[in-house]
Amino acid sequence: MKPIRIALTKGRLEESTIRLFEKLGYDCSQLRNKGRRLILEVPDANLEIVLAKAADVITYVEHGACDMGVVGKDTILEYGGSFFEVVDLGFGKCRFALAVKKGTDFYAGYQVKTIATKYPGVAREFFAGKGMDVEIIKIEGSVELAPLLGLSDGIVDIVETGATLRENGLEVTENIISLSARLIVNAASLKLRKKELEAVISAIKTAI
Amino acid sequence: MQKNKLIAPEGTRDILFEDCAARRRVEEKIKALFVSRGFTEVITPGIEFYDVFSSETHGLPQETMYKLVDSKGRLLALKPDLTMPIARLAATRLRDQVRPLRLFYDQNIYTITPALTGRSHEIPQIGVEIIGAGGRRADLEVLVLALETLQSCGLDDFRLEIGHIGFFNTLIRKLNLDEEQSEEIRTLIQTKNYPALNDMLDRMEDKKTAASLKQLPALFGGEEVLDEAAAALDCPELAPYLDALRGLYQALSGLGLGERVSLDLGIVNRTGYYTGIVFKGYIQGLGATALQGGRYDTLLADYGQDEPAVGFSLNVDAVAKVLLPAQPKTPAPDVLVFAEEGYEVKALLEIRKLASHGFCAEFSPFETFEQSRLYAVKRGIPVVYVVNEDLMEVRV
Repeated sequence: MKPIRIALTKGRLEESTIRLFEKLGYDCSQLRNKGRRLILEVPDANLEIVLAKAADVITYVEHGACDMGVVGKDTILEYGGSFFEVVDLGFGKCRFALAVKKGTDFYAGYQVKTIATKYPGVAREFFAGKGMDVEIIKIEGSVELAPLLGLSDGIVDIVETGATLRENGLEVTENIISLSARLIVNAASLKLRKKELEAVISAIKTAI
Repeated sequence: MQKNKLIAPEGTRDILFEDCAARRRVEEKIKALFVSRGFTEVITPGIEFYDVFSSETHGLPQETMYKLVDSKGRLLALKPDLTMPIARLAATRLRDQVRPLRLFYDQNIYTITPALTGRSHEIPQIGVEIIGAGGRRADLEVLVLALETLQSCGLDDFRLEIGHIGFFNTLIRKLNLDEEQSEEIRTLIQTKNYPALNDMLDRMEDKKTAASLKQLPALFGGEEVLDEAAAALDCPELAPYLDALRGLYQALSGLGLGERVSLDLGIVNRTGYYTGIVFKGYIQGLGATALQGGRYDTLLADYGQDEPAVGFSLNVDAVAKVLLPAQPKTPAPDVLVFAEEGYEVKALLEIRKLASHGFCAEFSPFETFEQSRLYAVKRGIPVVYVVNEDLMEVRV
């Protein structure tokens, strides 16, 4: 039978996901010693694991190239897409927040504010909800730099502990939304392979 | 930009040879099926007034539409949907025709999707609408036709999933929410986002209704879903919808289609015009919905004629893509006919004769036999006819 293919987000969420799978009793030896391989098998469970960048997990699941995926809510909010978001896995907890240089009042004055972010979609949505026009600048690396260099008035970014912000003289002005890792499922797969997929989903639900 | 003249716009593509053949084959089979059930084809214009798609109650999001301006400054749209123009047609020019109207169409729709997602902006859709017939019988007819449509394409594994918008509409009305909150709950049910749905519904005062709504996205599967639903949904107003689905499911099983059908009480399509049964078709090997339909009893009122209607459309490209591997390569012609100087007419007559016998013959535009022979070798044509006084057959 065709294996169930699951896309996992590389990096931040990888270790927690593998631990979850080990808790389910899956043999994760290939995942632990993956070398340069991109598609890995879980023997005896008829599963194939693909490791991908966060946004690509969504793409693979949305197009049905993978049946399921584990991805952060931050990526889901930024990229959207049509798939089922069935389980909050509870790990990878953090939040989106608006941060500014310590001691400045972001909302003061009537000038259009500039926001630096890796998540332009999330930032636009947040300020549209407030009925506020802002200029958004997409930054690829450390967003904290932008207000320090005078490029922006504030940043919209993921905050875990807030340590990076503090060390760089920034502070959270406003929390936008809490985030965690989610299990997402391709719509057609869930309908065509209901039994197999539901077995995996319910096992995951009981394990978390 | 100069280099744009060399490429197709984003979301569109050239469709060649086998792709073309696969698409046409799907269309022909389905059209023959529709005609055999009393449906007649209509073609509505490729561009329509923007207003056709922008009604307050049933309008489509404007950012998904390609828009143009006509010579009088009025806004036009490249058709983003085929049901709305047909509703307009039925409510106007076909107002006095005998009901029900059984119409079918085979046209492209155009829709703008986010860049670089690999989704087509130009989608060939084939589908039917039954206008002026409400109730169970028309629902059943359309469901059977949807199943037969998928079957007629020669697909091995497909599933038609049926739901009813009444479950969601009834429950959400009881919660008395504003439009924005209702829309949020609808989206959460549609995406089976259990965690967020539970969070949101836990804040509602009507605990009983909230508990029923929480169940909706999980209620999908075979006939057993209806019993689960009867037990899980504590709301007597929903009984008629459960009965309706049970009736349809049993009728489809009676036709031997039971294993192709499943139920999902959590189908709550974005296309806001559905009022009754809603259904979607899935095909193995395709990650997206291939067929989509339902009952829309209030849409025609937008165009000034209040009458019930039901229909569905199929994404022809999606089906053709799944069938493509089985599509035979387009064969080379059987014969290349080369005429020596002065014998062109005789050669063309020969081609007519060959064609009438069922052969595929190509006329050689080359001046010499040698050029013709070389071309035949490259093109994979097995035989060259040389036409002069006589007719000589050369195997290449």
